[in-house]
Amino acid sequence: MQRNYQHELELARVAGRLSRTENVVMLGLISGESTTRVRQRLFRHLAGLPTAPADSSSSTANTLQMESLIRDCDKLAKHQASAFNKTLAPIEQALEQLQKIKQGSPSSQASLRQALSHVQKINGDSGGSSASAPALRELATNVSKYGKHVEKTFKHPLDSLGDGSSAQFFAQKHGEHVGRALIEHFVHSGQFGLAAAYAEESRVSKPGGEHETRFREMFAVAREIEEQRQVERAVEWAERQGGACEALEFELRRLRFLQLVEQAEPTRALEYARAWFPKFASSRMAEIEHLMGIFIYARRLGSSPYAALFDESRWRQGAEHYVACVCRQAGVPGASPVRVAVDAGATAIPVVCKVAGLMRDRRVEWSQQNELAVEVPLPADMRFHSVFACPVSKEQATEENPPMALPCGHVVCRASLEKLARGVRPGVVASGRFKCPYCPVMASLADARAVHF
Amino acid sequence: MDKVNMEHMLAIEEPFLKVPLEQLKRSARQIQKLVEREMAAVSSELSEALKNQYRLAPEELQKTVDGLIERLQVLKRKLEDANQEEAQLIQRSKRRAIELQELKGFETTAHPLFQQWCRRRLDRVLVDYMLRNGNMRTAQMLVEESQLEHFADTSLFSLVMAIEAELKESHSCRGALEWCAENRSALRKIQSSLEFELRLQEFIEMARAHNRAGAIAYAKKHMVSWSDTQLPRIERAMTLLAFPPTTLCPPYRAMFDQARWQTLSDSFRTVIFQLYNLPAQPLLHLLLQTGLSALKTPACVSEEPSEHNRNCPVCQTETLGKLARDLPLSHHVNSNLVCRITGEKMDEDNPPMRLPNGYVYSQSALSDMAAKLDGKIKCQRTGQVFKLSEATKLFIS
Repeated sequence: MQRNYQHELELARVAGRLSRTENVVMLGLISGESTTRVRQRLFRHLAGLPTAPADSSSSTANTLQMESLIRDCDKLAKHQASAFNKTLAPIEQALEQLQKIKQGSPSSQASLRQALSHVQKINGDSGGSSASAPALRELATNVSKYGKHVEKTFKHPLDSLGDGSSAQFFAQKHGEHVGRALIEHFVHSGQFGLAAAYAEESRVSKPGGEHETRFREMFAVAREIEEQRQVERAVEWAERQGGACEALEFELRRLRFLQLVEQAEPTRALEYARAWFPKFASSRMAEIEHLMGIFIYARRLGSSPYAALFDESRWRQGAEHYVACVCRQAGVPGASPVRVAVDAGATAIPVVCKVAGLMRDRRVEWSQQNELAVEVPLPADMRFHSVFACPVSKEQATEENPPMALPCGHVVCRASLEKLARGVRPGVVASGRFKCPYCPVMASLADARAVHF
Repeated sequence: MDKVNMEHMLAIEEPFLKVPLEQLKRSARQIQKLVEREMAAVSSELSEALKNQYRLAPEELQKTVDGLIERLQVLKRKLEDANQEEAQLIQRSKRRAIELQELKGFETTAHPLFQQWCRRRLDRVLVDYMLRNGNMRTAQMLVEESQLEHFADTSLFSLVMAIEAELKESHSCRGALEWCAENRSALRKIQSSLEFELRLQEFIEMARAHNRAGAIAYAKKHMVSWSDTQLPRIERAMTLLAFPPTTLCPPYRAMFDQARWQTLSDSFRTVIFQLYNLPAQPLLHLLLQTGLSALKTPACVSEEPSEHNRNCPVCQTETLGKLARDLPLSHHVNSNLVCRITGEKMDEDNPPMRLPNGYVYSQSALSDMAAKLDGKIKCQRTGQVFKLSEATKLFIS
């Protein structure tokens, strides 16, 4: 199988569009496509046709498999109960007979005989010498069958990542850092008891308490918003930030305003609006006007155009917004970094696993490279830095080869521009002017401007 | 919106389903063997008693009966325990399959329930990490706080910890040898020599105590059966008897070394993890390594602090950043642009805008700023002020 892909990769190299094509092949390989399909995709790609995304039918197969595993477990549970009953009942009966003899029953012979027959019942009909417990044996067989089904669900073993020496090195060198990251994670999730207990048990030094105090207070205030539906403390905090959290302040004020309307206190709601909304007049006039219209519908909010404003999740969203603002103002991450890294890892593992398996044949450790061999498709909320890949050369921009904007607004790396400016057709004197690769506008190297993302 | 890829999500879940399964397999086989053995013994004793009952004195019959009752009661108790344990393991397997099945319901990664699911997954991974490191108390706390009773393999790790402590601290092979006896066929299947190593250690301890006769008898009883594969080592062990524990002769000094207990404990762990399909490394390490690598960009490792993003795990220079230092950078063949002001993705819907000084921000960030600053925009990185109309739209293909 791997040799087949080697062939595709060779093909890609010949075609001279290495990085992108390599990626097409690698991605196909990772999602477990058949060679034919990858080849199809590759040809489409080389021909400049759009390549269809990988087949998603395999994921439905997986859910079906999971459903059948759940059914297996149900069956197994029934089977297990009955197998043990079948074994336990005769033992109890045999015990009963033996107890009778012990208590001096006159017919000890009959009791012995009966006890023996109960015991033999467990052994099946095979009698004394070749003992077997058919019910339990069958149960063990059924467990193995279930095991085979589980086996089938997981096609790609984790091993290829696992026992490399660099992984051990990682464990030895970084135990302390992982420990500290975990304590920060617990603090960040409001699990202060766990943070303290873990620091003590794992003997990792706990970072300063100032961090923790901030989070403690933040979570207390967030709970006030979400559970008690009180915004006062959060609003005060937002005001103190001098305009940096204006959006939060407005959202909280609006929550309070809507609360008063909902509690059928129009006078107080109106007073509240007069006291606090003018402050936002310059930036949020339209929204305020819309809010004030609510008094027309005060008696039938549920069927009014304003019903959506009273969605149950609004308190949670307010609390989340508050937490995000506090984190931003304090310069700490908005989401626990361990959480983000682990989620990214779950996306990356299947991709890296495949590559690591291939690399291992060449006796290279994936973690010893300067760069991963393939792109990991992370979701947008896990992108924290701009990365510019030149659409012409497919290379990542660097300081030596920075991205340049042409007058038409298209961006290409400098090395590619220089190549374009030199001209491609032999014998023709390069004029230095060239057509933008993405639109009909002509440009020259001197027109291009550096961009910093 | 990003779709949830079920197959990818399952890639790390193999041990999750397999640990209770392997436990179940072991228990089912062991209990079957036990019942077979006991029933054969009981039934032959019963037949014997039946045959001889007229020749037996009443006291003798009574003694036999008492013995049988005792035996059956022990068996019954064991069966009841195993019954309960197996029922629990099946329940646990089912709960875990249901947890994985839930992934089907999430259309996109933004689904709030998917976020909760990921949160639970992280807690599972953390419990695994703590159990492996022997932080049993914290692990238990996390299990209780996050209601992960069915998702934590506490009993397995308690067993591992107990046997390891016995090896490392009390220098005793008893528990480990018992475990080997219970799992002999599985060990044979993976061609593990763990049992031999343990036997060898007991032999060494006898040699250390100058109990030569005992050592020879022990070797005859427990080590000869390994002669097919381990003959040279048995020979060397016998030669050990000629050396005092204080010897400086390298191979024998190594055998007498107390560090051998640590090695034994490590190989025990390797073997038991292998039998239960647990990866040698904690899942947390694998996830952090691959995750950090996938997140790592040249900006994260820049000397310039302004290049860092407070939300980026790799930019946490004191903790995760240190872990990421030796890991590969992420690979990109497609551009991914993130606005420095809002942190939002820049694409056709929110295009990147270039200021005259070359710095780029998202359109939404610039228009928000212009609304507040009277049509002016200020470059976050250089402090220069421009008019919004001076910004030009860029096209990224």
